[in-house]
Amino acid sequence: MTSTLTKSADDGGSRSMGDAFDEAFEGEFGELRFADDPAPLTVLAGHPGPEAPPAVRRAVRKWSRNELLPLLGSLVSALSTTMLLFGRFTSMEGVIGFLAVFFLVFLLTYAVVVSLTENRPAVYDRVMTVLMASAAVVALCALFSVIVYVFIRGVKALVHTNFYVDDLSSTGPLDPLTKGGISHAIVGTLIMTLISLVITVPLGIACSVYLNETRSRLTSLVRTVVTAMTALPSILAGLFIFATWVLILGFERSGLAASIAISIMTLPIMIRSADVVLRLVPGNLREASAALGAPQWRTVWHVVLPTARSGLTTSVILGIARGVGETAPVLLTAGFTSSMNLNPNEGPMVSLPLTAYMLVRSGQPEQMARGFGTAAVLMVLVLILFSIARVLGGRPAGQLSKRQARGTVARSSRDLQRIEARRLAAASSDVTVAPIALSAGAPPYSSKESS
Amino acid sequence: MSVPRLLRRVVFAVSATLVAGSFVGGGSPPIASASFSYQRISGEGSSWAANAIDAMRVNVRQFGITVDYNPSGSTAGRRNFLNGTVDFAASDIPFQFSPEDGSAPENPAPGSYAYIPVTAGGTSFMYNLQINGKRVTNLRLSGENVAKIFTGVITTWNDPAIAADNPGLTMPARTIVPVVRSDGSGSSAQFTKWMIAEHGALWTEFCNRSGRAPACGNTSFYPTIPGMIAQNGDLGVAGYVSQGFAEGAIGYVNYSYALNAQFPVAKVLNEAGYYTEPTPDNVAVSLLQARINTNEADPTVYLTQQLEGVYNDTDPRSYQLSSYSYLIVPTKVAGQFNEDKGATVGAFAYYALCQAQQQWASVGYSPMPINLVEASFDQIRKIPGVVVQDIDIASCDNPTFSANGTNVLAQNAPQPQACDQQGSVSQCPNGTGGLSNVPTDVLAGPVTGGTTPAGGTTPAGGSTPAGGSTPAAGSTPAGGSVPGAATGTTLPGSNGGVDAGTGGQGCDADTGLCAGGSSGTPTGGGTATGGAAGAIATTVLPQPSGWGGSTVLLLLVIALTLGLVLTPALAWRRFSSKEPA
Amino acid sequence: MAGVTMEAFGAGGAVETTSVDHVATGEPAPPRRLVVRKGRGDRIFFGGASFSGAFVLAIMVAVGVFLAIQASQALKSSGFSFLTTSVWQPDRGEFGIAAIMLGTVLIALVAVAIALPISMGTALFITEVAPKWLRSWLIALVDLMAAVPSVVYGLWGAYLLQGKIVGLSRWINAWFGWIPFLDVARADPNSPLSSESVYTASTFIAGVVVAMMVMPIQCVVMREVFSQVPLGEREGAYALGSTRWGMIRVVALPFGRGGIIGGTMLGLGRALGETIAVVMIISPRFDLNFHVLEAGSNSVSSHIALLTFESSGFGLSALMAAGLALFAVTLVVNFTASWFVARSRSGASSEA
Repeated sequence: MTSTLTKSADDGGSRSMGDAFDEAFEGEFGELRFADDPAPLTVLAGHPGPEAPPAVRRAVRKWSRNELLPLLGSLVSALSTTMLLFGRFTSMEGVIGFLAVFFLVFLLTYAVVVSLTENRPAVYDRVMTVLMASAAVVALCALFSVIVYVFIRGVKALVHTNFYVDDLSSTGPLDPLTKGGISHAIVGTLIMTLISLVITVPLGIACSVYLNETRSRLTSLVRTVVTAMTALPSILAGLFIFATWVLILGFERSGLAASIAISIMTLPIMIRSADVVLRLVPGNLREASAALGAPQWRTVWHVVLPTARSGLTTSVILGIARGVGETAPVLLTAGFTSSMNLNPNEGPMVSLPLTAYMLVRSGQPEQMARGFGTAAVLMVLVLILFSIARVLGGRPAGQLSKRQARGTVARSSRDLQRIEARRLAAASSDVTVAPIALSAGAPPYSSKESS
Repeated sequence: MSVPRLLRRVVFAVSATLVAGSFVGGGSPPIASASFSYQRISGEGSSWAANAIDAMRVNVRQFGITVDYNPSGSTAGRRNFLNGTVDFAASDIPFQFSPEDGSAPENPAPGSYAYIPVTAGGTSFMYNLQINGKRVTNLRLSGENVAKIFTGVITTWNDPAIAADNPGLTMPARTIVPVVRSDGSGSSAQFTKWMIAEHGALWTEFCNRSGRAPACGNTSFYPTIPGMIAQNGDLGVAGYVSQGFAEGAIGYVNYSYALNAQFPVAKVLNEAGYYTEPTPDNVAVSLLQARINTNEADPTVYLTQQLEGVYNDTDPRSYQLSSYSYLIVPTKVAGQFNEDKGATVGAFAYYALCQAQQQWASVGYSPMPINLVEASFDQIRKIPGVVVQDIDIASCDNPTFSANGTNVLAQNAPQPQACDQQGSVSQCPNGTGGLSNVPTDVLAGPVTGGTTPAGGTTPAGGSTPAGGSTPAAGSTPAGGSVPGAATGTTLPGSNGGVDAGTGGQGCDADTGLCAGGSSGTPTGGGTATGGAAGAIATTVLPQPSGWGGSTVLLLLVIALTLGLVLTPALAWRRFSSKEPA
Repeated sequence: MAGVTMEAFGAGGAVETTSVDHVATGEPAPPRRLVVRKGRGDRIFFGGASFSGAFVLAIMVAVGVFLAIQASQALKSSGFSFLTTSVWQPDRGEFGIAAIMLGTVLIALVAVAIALPISMGTALFITEVAPKWLRSWLIALVDLMAAVPSVVYGLWGAYLLQGKIVGLSRWINAWFGWIPFLDVARADPNSPLSSESVYTASTFIAGVVVAMMVMPIQCVVMREVFSQVPLGEREGAYALGSTRWGMIRVVALPFGRGGIIGGTMLGLGRALGETIAVVMIISPRFDLNFHVLEAGSNSVSSHIALLTFESSGFGLSALMAAGLALFAVTLVVNFTASWFVARSRSGASSEA
């Protein structure tokens, strides 16, 4: 039986098998995913699923005029009071002090104003809401101040085209910003990233597949060790490579050494998030594939990985974004240069963060502008990576965008037609046609369900 | 990317011959044959000499030589040279076979390296200090005071000892923050060596205090005590000192860093009784007294420097902390270093010793004298794979060279001004370092009533000790300030005509409060009438913050204000809640 | 879910055989052992997967073992004094992590103390307060905050924050200097002439910068936990007349306690290992300095970053020992974090 099934699965449009199964099951049993389940190896076949609570949280409050006006009024009142206190009534000064006093006065005023119309729990509620909102505001202000500051300090360098296409090999510290640039660091970062991608992506995904698809004592050991290594401070990855690759093995400090150090650092992070993503692949997909007689490698290759594609991409990109921004391991393993180096195997190669660090330290206005410009470029790079990750990773495993869904439907119907055609052809011969049996009716074990 | 690079190579190969031909005159360029391709070489080490090496790195690009230089400190340079991870190192001091500070001895394989002195310079004391909102640019320090500052003995700028050095300045009662090197550095080594030689007791006492006790010799790792700031590299020190918040800080860096950061350096008293600045000229003069080891048979010391003579130099132009810095080049093929790289290192070294010397002065370093250049040319021959160049030494255009072999630069170095002499009535208003064009107002001297023009020529042997006579009595010692005490710091003899032009800082020197309002002190109130030049700058000290009577009043004001705003609302609530809803 | 399993019914690649639980039906369960013949493809697949798993394991173990072996030389010579010595002169035989580990821990604690209220408030704001359109934006921004490279935070901290925050340091010192660890030596906040430099390069400033990196990490974990609060319990609280804050206090916070603790510790783990931002701010010192506002601090990772190139062979061994100690600490912290998360009601499916 096995051989037959394998054969038929081979002949079938295996590329779209996972998607087709998805469609088939969706149509028949409704929602069958148990995304919350830590190990969805099996599913309740035919089980209609627990009576789902309303999936969306209700919004319990809306901003009405009665809530908004006290807030605005208190803000204005607190601002005025604080301005009175500062410089008029007392000798307080300083921006930080002003903001702190303003905030406290505002809280007090707001509490009093709310208490005019509301009872005590409501006052608590409003004040706590304001506190939560201010926490978010503080966090965002911090983020924006970081981004804006780096761009403002770097803009003098960023406006020159030569900043992106030249390196610093012919540029001294005192040369104007119209000379020299950081192309060597941009290229260095790209090369290092590429190499660490080549190392980590196959290894990381294979390892997470291993963690998810096999069960042995080694699996749990690997998982534990990988979890432990996510705690490895990045500088230790650099120190390890410096001590082994450079000092013991006698290689140069180079782009390759830095890439390996970055890989060691990002690998556990990547494996862990990929592990989580793969765990979220619905078990019914695996089972369906298995039921169709696909060997496990086919199940993984054609069902599990494609289903988790967006999640895996996200985990890879986020791992790389982390690696791109790391300075510490590069500091110990890459050496330092101001010239373009395209050879990762020989001679020092710098990355963007290392260049930013080295340039800014100098304290000379031009070099600092270059350093901040480098940091800005780095941030844009990370932002791009991050946006790609957001776009790809917005959906959980198996959920498709509209376009993908249309494609799946089309492929699925083509598959169906072909299978039907084959069935008609097979009906005249003696070959068992197992797959159709599955899609035709309820699985045989559906009666065994508990609860 | 590689196409423009290739193109550049070709262009350089052609232009190198042209440029070099015109540039060096009769001298041969570093390997003129266009068929030769240089290997990329990487070096690491001294951040003291990094500005010079960086300038060379930029200039040798035109010959197609790519040099990677990592200014991570002399110690790191020597270590990585020993580890074989770099093609050359730059260090201010030779290998430490028996270090005095207890660090591990460095034992390079005999005959595997050679020292090539490439540049000279002064370890300068770059500082960040303002008086009445104007940056001081003409600070003077005796060697003993330098040692005391960097051993934590003197902790405020208005210490009588410092005031005695600066009769023309009203030193503020600001805390001194010494900024030292946190990494292993040749400049720390040179500095501590000088301190041990000249002010050994201070150093020993400091070393004991810092917990370094038994190993109190000359060290590359400067010990720190609380109150000091340690920064990584000359870059880090200069970067820290030049920050706005670092007022009161003073750090030791190479002179070139002060030039680049546009900050002044302290003039240091020499044996002749003059306060001097480590200008390239003065460094050249000082290093005439450096004893160079000429025992060619012993490569471990050949060409290394003995600087005791510099410390004791009685030339009025000399600067005590002058020294040479070295390239350490391999003389054996090992590891990643091969003959091709040797050829490049050799060409680089030739460039450094010949053409580069003429530009040292412009970047803040001093060129090498002819005897060292000649000896170094012989050293270069030891590099494996080097293409020996037959350079006519006269064509190098080194400013120290002359037909008769004397050091022209040192001969022609200007004598210090009379106002730079110890014991002069006032001090020179001229700026130093990167702010040499920015003079500082000086008190013209308390005895003569402020009529002596600044820079007067009277050496005045018996002048009153300046420290006791400066009208700085108003500056209350830190900590003892009474609530509301007003301190008037006046500058009676302040020269109205000389506008420092540095007053735009927005920070008040006396209160430490910047116009930006960064201080969160709620009880501030320091207002400075930053009047026109020559006006009396009155400073009202803020009331001491802390839990005192004024604080209670402050809180009362706040409570009353809030009460005024909130009482009506609270009252309304109280009365309205009694009514049935 | 637990009660039902699938008997792998002989399909090609199914190797899972799980015991059948017949609690509900009560039927006798004849456990079938399934013998699966793996095809060549599967053998290659499993071989490859196992190889990659073993390879990753080997790398990771190699890192740990190598560090341990290298460190053992230094640890052997110093013995227990490694933990109690604060100076760092390995070549003289006097070295220990007391000072640098203390600095590391203090920086991390300051960071967490600052980041915790902000991250918790932000997480609650995102899950409970923010309108839907704002929520997705906030989530993206917090994630972005986690992705900003640490060198950028370092630049921000060293060149913008450091100048601005000395005023705050001075203020804290003036008013709360009587609390021992907020005292600053050589600083007189009452004197307007005392240098602001005495407040720079401190544990506090480094902590604030690290807090910026820790905050989003904590926030992500907490947000995830708060978003899993059972709807029934939420609705129940509301039905009993609770306000939103009341619901948060009695339902969300107790439910998410594990996540809050776990997220906090996860952030702590990251804060302990941060290198470059700390390097850019602190001025290294080697004494037991509890004064968080005072200039000078140290951390293990920045210590390694600064000294690696300058160390002799034995010095490098000592650095590895310090690194190993740091690794041990972060390991404990991280495992404690995941233990808390996994043990909590909310944690079963959390990614922390």
